[in-house]
Amino acid sequence: MRQDQSIRTDQLDVGAAAPAPDGQSAIGKTPWQLFWRRFKKDKFALAGGILIIVLIFIAIFAPLIAKFVGHGPNELFDNATNEFGLPVGPSSRFWFGADRSGRDVFVRTIYGARTSLAVAFLATGIATLIGVTLGLLAGYVAGSVDTVISRLIDVVLSLPLLLFALGISAACSVAKNGCLHGLVQPGLRLVVFIIALFTWPYLARIVRGQVLSLREREFIEASHSMGAGEWRIMFADILPNLAAPIIVYTTLIIPSNILFEAALSFLGVGIPQTTPSWGRMLSDASNSQMFTYAWWMMLFPGIFLLLTTLAFNLLGDGLRDALDPRSRR
Amino acid sequence: MWRYILRRLVWLVLTLLFITLLTYVLFFVMPPTDPAILFAGKHPTPQVIAQVRKNLGLDRPFVVQYFLYMKHIVVGDQYGWPGLGFSFTTGKAVRSLILEKLAVTFALSLGASIVWLMIGVPIGIISAIKPGSLYDRLGMGFALFFVSAPVFWVGLMFLWIFWYKLHIAAGTGYYPIGQYGVFTWANHLIMPWVVLALVFAAFYARMVRGNLIETMHEDYIRTARAKGISERRVILKHGLRAALTPVVTMFGIDFGLLFGGAIITETVFNLQGIGLLSVQSVNNGDLPVIVAITLVASFAVTFMNLVVDIIYAYLDPRVRYT
Amino acid sequence: MDGHPSRSPSNVDQLKGEEMRVSRKGSALFVFGVASLLIATACSSNNGGSSSTPTPGAVTKGGTYRSATSSFGFVGDFDPVGEYTAVGFAYYQMLLRTLLNYTGEAGAAGLVPHPDLATDLGTVSSDGLTYTYHLKDNIKFGPPINREITSSDIKYAFERIDSSSLVAQYAFYYDGVIKGMAPHNGPPKNISGIDTPDSKTIVFHLTTPTSDFPARLSMAATAPVPQEVAKCFTKPAGGYGNDIVSSGPYMIQGADQMDPSSCSTIKPMSGYDPTSKLILVRNPNWVQSTDDLRKAYVDGLNMSIDSNVDDIFNKISSGSLDGSFYEIPPPTVLQKYSTDSSLKPYEHIDPQNTTYYISMNLLVPPFDDIHVRKAVNWIIDKAGIQKAWGGPATGTIAGHVMPPSMAGLGADYNPYGTPNNAGDLSKAEAEMKQSKYDPGHTGKCTDSVCNGVILLNRNEPPWTDAEAGIVADLAKIGINVKARELESGAAYQTIDTVKSGAGVGISMNPRWGADYGDPNTFAQPLFSSQSLIPVGTSNYAMVGMTKEKAQKFGVTYPSGGVPSADAQINACLPKTGQERQTCFQGVDKYLMEDVVPWVPMFWANQVTITSPTVTNWAFDQFTGFIALQNVAVSNNASP
Repeated sequence: MRQDQSIRTDQLDVGAAAPAPDGQSAIGKTPWQLFWRRFKKDKFALAGGILIIVLIFIAIFAPLIAKFVGHGPNELFDNATNEFGLPVGPSSRFWFGADRSGRDVFVRTIYGARTSLAVAFLATGIATLIGVTLGLLAGYVAGSVDTVISRLIDVVLSLPLLLFALGISAACSVAKNGCLHGLVQPGLRLVVFIIALFTWPYLARIVRGQVLSLREREFIEASHSMGAGEWRIMFADILPNLAAPIIVYTTLIIPSNILFEAALSFLGVGIPQTTPSWGRMLSDASNSQMFTYAWWMMLFPGIFLLLTTLAFNLLGDGLRDALDPRSRR
Repeated sequence: MWRYILRRLVWLVLTLLFITLLTYVLFFVMPPTDPAILFAGKHPTPQVIAQVRKNLGLDRPFVVQYFLYMKHIVVGDQYGWPGLGFSFTTGKAVRSLILEKLAVTFALSLGASIVWLMIGVPIGIISAIKPGSLYDRLGMGFALFFVSAPVFWVGLMFLWIFWYKLHIAAGTGYYPIGQYGVFTWANHLIMPWVVLALVFAAFYARMVRGNLIETMHEDYIRTARAKGISERRVILKHGLRAALTPVVTMFGIDFGLLFGGAIITETVFNLQGIGLLSVQSVNNGDLPVIVAITLVASFAVTFMNLVVDIIYAYLDPRVRYT
Repeated sequence: MDGHPSRSPSNVDQLKGEEMRVSRKGSALFVFGVASLLIATACSSNNGGSSSTPTPGAVTKGGTYRSATSSFGFVGDFDPVGEYTAVGFAYYQMLLRTLLNYTGEAGAAGLVPHPDLATDLGTVSSDGLTYTYHLKDNIKFGPPINREITSSDIKYAFERIDSSSLVAQYAFYYDGVIKGMAPHNGPPKNISGIDTPDSKTIVFHLTTPTSDFPARLSMAATAPVPQEVAKCFTKPAGGYGNDIVSSGPYMIQGADQMDPSSCSTIKPMSGYDPTSKLILVRNPNWVQSTDDLRKAYVDGLNMSIDSNVDDIFNKISSGSLDGSFYEIPPPTVLQKYSTDSSLKPYEHIDPQNTTYYISMNLLVPPFDDIHVRKAVNWIIDKAGIQKAWGGPATGTIAGHVMPPSMAGLGADYNPYGTPNNAGDLSKAEAEMKQSKYDPGHTGKCTDSVCNGVILLNRNEPPWTDAEAGIVADLAKIGINVKARELESGAAYQTIDTVKSGAGVGISMNPRWGADYGDPNTFAQPLFSSQSLIPVGTSNYAMVGMTKEKAQKFGVTYPSGGVPSADAQINACLPKTGQERQTCFQGVDKYLMEDVVPWVPMFWANQVTITSPTVTNWAFDQFTGFIALQNVAVSNNASP
């Protein structure tokens, strides 16, 4: 699974993306005001942002929408499939058609937004937490701590991603209580766990790089000479300066995590059927080449998936361009 | 420089050792299924299970198993070098199994990488040269689309449109050259190549564009222009070299990544490569194959990382290695 | 490229996107259709088609049956001593001959043992302990051995069964049954209970009368094995399965090139590669007059591996393959062949000896209460399950445990039958009200144990498609399950290990097929307390579990106890003939009414799709698949 190119920071000039806190412009606007002004001008980024808000709304109000349509996400309709179990296509009763179990694809697609967004936010959140912490430690404390953490990052990034994801998922699905004494149950938790496990290194690397360069700046030296403790410097001085790149890269990791979750579902890593997931719906569409008959099972979840990731990519691009005074569109 | 390479090589070996240990722990110590029971068939007696366990070499303590496995890799086993054991599912030597499947993955990766370089880089360059123009918008629109689209959905859509509806593309499956000839082989690979390439091409287009625009604003480019060099030469000779250096290194890493198998593309198009094998072996609890694939994939990635770093150091004089 | 299913006018839904195409090509299609219809009618006298007996004289000898399968699925590396899969047996029907075997036809007649290598059905002593068989003349091993098959070769097969390292997976049919047979470490050694007074006679001495013993002599592990080759394979990995010496009408391609002069010269036969192909060609030493069970029309079999099942059916449509093997055709294919009258003759629907079922663990609440189990039997919508499988072609809805080819209770006995097989809520609620888990008599399971119990399933279609219906049905009576999908092997392993099985209350993944035509194969392994072993049990429901055993295995014994079927099963074991059948019918009834460990879903059909090149269709009821030894094709392909 390929991550967005801007996550690869091997060649990234680490100082560039962080706006210097003491870099006031002549007009006296704060960096955040500057950022907002630049961001507003970016129509595509705005569109992405609006689309995301719409999707969040759809996710939140999915039950209401389902009620309006009159079908539940797991409600089975006998007349939605013919005697061979083949589903009906889009019609006035089933706007996006039905699937092989006789469920309403439209309602399930709407509910799928919940799964994708929930997994993306949760997994990214956890990954960010771990990644920022470890990156901060590695970059600031340096020395052997840095060596250990950096090597760990290298190892995790060298692992064949999907293979391990499948293996961990299989291992955790068998026992009644999953893995880690019931903490990681098969289903949503397992998927979040796996995604977080494999994406924290990206953030850690970026943060580490940023911290490495920030460490040498004068204001840190100033804090030192004022007698501030290391922890205080880490959290009060460095961390705020990481806010901008963290926001940007987190936003850019979200779409790849959404795709990662969809890929895992596609390959059969277990979110149970009762929780609609776009990846799972696409996997169902490809089983027995069902999509050659029931194209609607493939088209609609795919389009929604595409729009969601597109929106986050647009937003992320816009954020990155707006926060980086040196980048040009 | 050489000390650096040596250090990196040592690190590569250590990484691989750690990864195999990790794989072993994950798949042997906490396996989803006990292979002994799995391969003991229907209605096994305890004796049968015990015997199967013995046959698969699983009756020994985990540490002994791991040590033996590493030893076989170094010195080889009855199937040749490196000794990767035999597949639990088929009894066939893992080594020959992997070589067979690697051939397929390699065919897929090579073709796709040629396509994505041929599509992605030019689009990126053109977009960078004429920022804001129609070309730029179209190019970046295309890139944004395929960066956001899930590979399996693109694959399914392609199959549906070009194979099922329009009948202009061949169907799924891999047709080896030896048996079916070059035309059929290539015919069935065109869609997987394109699908896999499109996603990468999109990334590369964006990256090339970004890099080239950055580079074009560097001081030395301005100097070159001031010296009177033609715009064309400025771009091609000075701009591209700096802009494409990261592309070269990125390409190396991506190509290494593909040795783990483009799992999704192989699944959608039913190409019997390493990716599909890895999914099947995890599903079947075929531990020796799982470990072997992990080894191959991780080796490819870490090795390419090393190669790429060396090339980068060579190409970019600003980089120094301690 | 050709290979996609042609569109029949009934598929209205699809036409929406392509009306333009159809109308433009409409006239061309029409002409083509009429033309092919005319041609087909003219030539139709040669197309045998469906599961009817072939018209004599119309069937052609020669050609190759070209087929493909998604994977061989062998569990014993194709070594006959231990290969315990029905698909393995299907190939062995071409490769090997045993003392007794079957005619390779559909129906009850296909389950009756006939003499194969033996001259007759053998003589049994009056105490039922001694079985004597004489071998036919003119029976030889195939290349490269080429010599006469002797009784010692058959005895050697039994000796291999007891060599532990060769993992004879169904040794339990012989160990402890034939005197002197017990597993041991080390290479094959003499068995005292089998005599070979001369090269054409073999005598079995049993420890106890075993009325289905003749059927056990039809299993591939008892086929003669030449010691000169097999002695080289005392360790299993890469074993005898790569170098099987034929005793039947066909041999593995390349067998004649194998050099048996010493163990080091023996290389795997070229026609078998477990990851890509199995090619069988005629065995020149097989004499038709000695074999009245096998017609051997085709010159050989070409079975290749194609992991894309849909691809296989596309290839059959396009003509590059002659027929499918064990794979269930996807519903689109089933629809196409069932609704198009010109294609229907190529869809062969034959009942197997298999029941697909939902198993309830009698140790796990709420399924430890018989009223709950009965309520589940009432509520399950079996018609919906059949639909999810692909419709009526895939099987017959099951009303009880044993499939019609076994004890034969028939469709009339359906104790939990509901209108349209859709489930009956009122009956289910009435049953649930009597359960201790519904203290308020609401008709729904209200106790806390009714929530969150795990439903185990496979992670492949059509099981995944049937899951939603079963989950919904259980919810109707208050049992809210958490469905979990696992790889098939992992799913089986979870429930065949007593301890992990106790974490799963109800599982919809299992199916069970009879090993041979005796009803006990559907009783003892599945429901006898003897079958309860800590790992590898087939008694997933834990019928007959006792408190002591439960303690030994480390699982909780329910306060309400666990019913047992031992008395009923054991009473039937010594019986023979019609008495035996009737007795086991009683066992089936007892299980359905007084134990209720299962919800039988359906009795499976094997649906095989062929192309018009197949001129004689034959189904082997013993294996439950196409009778490769009796099909005929009209193509001229060589294997």
